[in-house]
Amino acid sequence: MAVREERSWFWRKIGFWFVPVKAETLGPEEWAKIRKISRTGKNQRTRRLFALLWAPGLAFEIAVSLRVVRLDPWAGLMSTALLTVLMGLAVRALWIGFAQVSLEDQAVIEYGADFDALKEKQRAEILQRQVRDVLFGRVKVDEHEAERRLRAQGAAYRLLGPGLVVFVTGYWAVCLFGPFGATRSALAVTAVVVTWLAALVLAAPTMIRTWTQPDEPGEIAAVGE
Amino acid sequence: MLLHNRIAVLRAERKLSRAALASSVGVNPQTIGFLERGDYMPSLELAFKIAEHFGLPVEAVFSPRPFRTLSEQVYEMHKREA
Repeated sequence: MAVREERSWFWRKIGFWFVPVKAETLGPEEWAKIRKISRTGKNQRTRRLFALLWAPGLAFEIAVSLRVVRLDPWAGLMSTALLTVLMGLAVRALWIGFAQVSLEDQAVIEYGADFDALKEKQRAEILQRQVRDVLFGRVKVDEHEAERRLRAQGAAYRLLGPGLVVFVTGYWAVCLFGPFGATRSALAVTAVVVTWLAALVLAAPTMIRTWTQPDEPGEIAAVGE
Repeated sequence: MLLHNRIAVLRAERKLSRAALASSVGVNPQTIGFLERGDYMPSLELAFKIAEHFGLPVEAVFSPRPFRTLSEQVYEMHKREA
């Protein structure tokens, strides 16, 4: 298969800098490390470790946002926006990484040769393109990948239902029975908002289906006659 | 339900790489690998595209029951002809 020559000057010259080291100067040991790192996403144990580490990472981000917002609301907004954007980019990079082929497979696809047999420049080109694709979201999502995404989203939504119910119940319990004194009524207002936001999130798929589902074709009495 | 397929055999017969087949039917190369390992059931559209690529009817490439080996089938065919 031909090498992708349609890359613009920008991608070939500027995009290079998105790779932390100059790939042409890498030795066999560095290449071995890069290939090992690139394979981590294909390993289920490593992926599960990332998923487990994500929860304390999220808790840390929430704690930082809460601390900053108490000092200054605008700074709180800025830090929360920055942290959520960073988390969003990391999640997006994971999605893209799932759909990416390995460096070794990419070598076979583009040059019809093993990665080890490629020239240094060709290896660098493949590596840099993969890094750029993760950063800029240039990856092909075929039907298999789309189905996996749908399954993951469906599973996430099934967890979200009971999760939100537990969260809202806990929130109300804390508001009603916690030692808040005069601020209890203000907290109860936030509990009402949280409850209705949760209800909105849980009802959203049904409402979207209600809006988008087309009419049934033919007769209404489909089982008649 | 598991859908058995002959993609690996057909590829080998035609000396066709996964990447070439993937490119021809419009999926990622790893999807062909998942199909060959039986880890993924293709959509009807993809199944027909793959069958069309090999110039065979879809039931010659995909089956709900395990395929008999090609050598067995060829041997039986010869026996019947003889």
